[in-house]
Amino acid sequence: MAMTTDTPHRHILSRTNRAAVKTWTRGMAALIVSLVFFAPIYWMILTAFKSGNAAFSETPSLFVRPSLENFRLVFVQNDFGAALSTSLFVTTVSTLLCLAVGASIAYPLARVKMRGERHIAFWILSLRIIPPVATIIPLFLMLRSVGLTGSIWSLVLVYTYMNLPLTVWLLRGFFADLPKEIEEAALVDGASRMRAFFTITLPLTVPGLIATGLLCFIFAWNEFLFANILTGANTRTAPVGLTEYVTPVSVEWNKIMAAGTLVVLPVWIGALSVQRYLVRGLTLGAVK
Amino acid sequence: MPSTVFPPPGMTQSRAVSSRRRRYGPLLPMLPGMVFLFVMSIYPMFYSLYTSLWRWNLANPGNIRFGGWHNYNLILTDPSFWNGVGITFKFVLISVSVELILGMAIALLFFHRFPGDRFLRAIMILPMVVAPVVLGLLSRYMLNVQFGIVTFITESLGLGRIDFLGDPDLALATLIVIDVWQWTPFMFLILLAALQGVPEDIIEAAKVDGARSGRIFFDHILHLIRYPIAVAVALRLIDAFRVYDIIFMTTRGGPIDATQTLSWQIYDAGFKSLDIGYAAAYSWLMLIMVVLTVTLALKLLLGKGA
Repeated sequence: MAMTTDTPHRHILSRTNRAAVKTWTRGMAALIVSLVFFAPIYWMILTAFKSGNAAFSETPSLFVRPSLENFRLVFVQNDFGAALSTSLFVTTVSTLLCLAVGASIAYPLARVKMRGERHIAFWILSLRIIPPVATIIPLFLMLRSVGLTGSIWSLVLVYTYMNLPLTVWLLRGFFADLPKEIEEAALVDGASRMRAFFTITLPLTVPGLIATGLLCFIFAWNEFLFANILTGANTRTAPVGLTEYVTPVSVEWNKIMAAGTLVVLPVWIGALSVQRYLVRGLTLGAVK
Repeated sequence: MPSTVFPPPGMTQSRAVSSRRRRYGPLLPMLPGMVFLFVMSIYPMFYSLYTSLWRWNLANPGNIRFGGWHNYNLILTDPSFWNGVGITFKFVLISVSVELILGMAIALLFFHRFPGDRFLRAIMILPMVVAPVVLGLLSRYMLNVQFGIVTFITESLGLGRIDFLGDPDLALATLIVIDVWQWTPFMFLILLAALQGVPEDIIEAAKVDGARSGRIFFDHILHLIRYPIAVAVALRLIDAFRVYDIIFMTTRGGPIDATQTLSWQIYDAGFKSLDIGYAAAYSWLMLIMVVLTVTLALKLLLGKGA
């Protein structure tokens, strides 16, 4: 009925209006959803900046006058700095090892024609399915027999192993993405395969290496089960260190939240910086 | 793996050697890494298979006896094992299904661009990177019956104080909610990427024909992205079976036995009772369950061709 009175101009206007309303509703809904997922983190960071007994108040306040007291205490009283630096060391070394070993497996898998290539790749992937709790006892006994329990090197080995399937699969994809012709040109010029790899392939896959490395870093940084069992009193990682704020007598919530914030923020920044590769990394290269 | 190469007739020994080097030389860099993977995986697997057949308690090292199927019999006739199986499957299946549905809904919400969507997506990544240990402690703090923020909310809503982690009827559900909070973003990110890979014309068809857009989604789009869905579900299943850190930080298997998942029970048997034969047998039973569940899920999602 209104069709007859509708001028073309008004018709277009109402359509764009409707689209705008739709976009706006969607945006608002997405904002609410994101806030739900953000709220607990906000609460943690907020508590970390609360001083004294505010964390135990029965009427919570959403805003506080920020104090750095908890962060200071975490470093001065509990020596959380040592745990953080242990974590940083173990995580960094295992990540670098993992990239080196991973690349040396992934590159031939991506480039060299071999029999059973798919079987090797899938065998490596299948290691991902084994629950860590199922391997931890034999691994523990094995590492104990070579005298490595309590040393951070046991963790370096375990984290390298833990992240290798992911690394091999991701790097294999990144190497395969690189056009073969670029390397072949160098090979024709007389360069050895080794030289072609280091001077051409590797520099061109740096973004992929960084993305893979950051994912390894995040997984190793957050790991708890192995760290709890394989580290000694002087080699605690940050997640293990956190458990010490919980004693039968009291739980120091302000400090836990401050220490928790210190554990979470670096990996969040890391994850954001590889956002472009995040989906690819999380699916071991299956979804690009 | 390469089989032995015999020099073809007419070829001299040295030429055979050099051709072998040319063929397998490029594979040499793989060797150290493959050896490392073997040592770290095959050895523990066989060791654990071996120990599972022995009555072997680290607290009593003088008394190691061959048991055959003893440990397996013991476990399979233990009601607490079956209780653990039930709890684990409840946890895994409910968490992963809710994450899949919620993740899909949020992915559809973010599919069409709107101002600020990149910023909100950056926030959505946050829960996944929170160390489970930190998340466990944070949950305990927020759910604290005296001063937790959640208690404050339930009280203002007139629901009174609810002990979410201390009530045997609520503890498992609470752990599921925590898992859903942490891992729905994972599903969301993967499904969003998958949706963005769907050909434009199918999306256009769904948009133009508003009335049938729902059917186009269920008939065509879901089918097109079944592979990413299967990958995401398989990975989530594998990781959900591992749940340990959160339980360690919150309920420790309790109250009573409400949150005794399989991984928790294995840890208990191995590191508290030091009964490593029993724990090893347990691990094998669990591994079989994980493999079967993941295979079944892939078959269901990808059809018979998987």
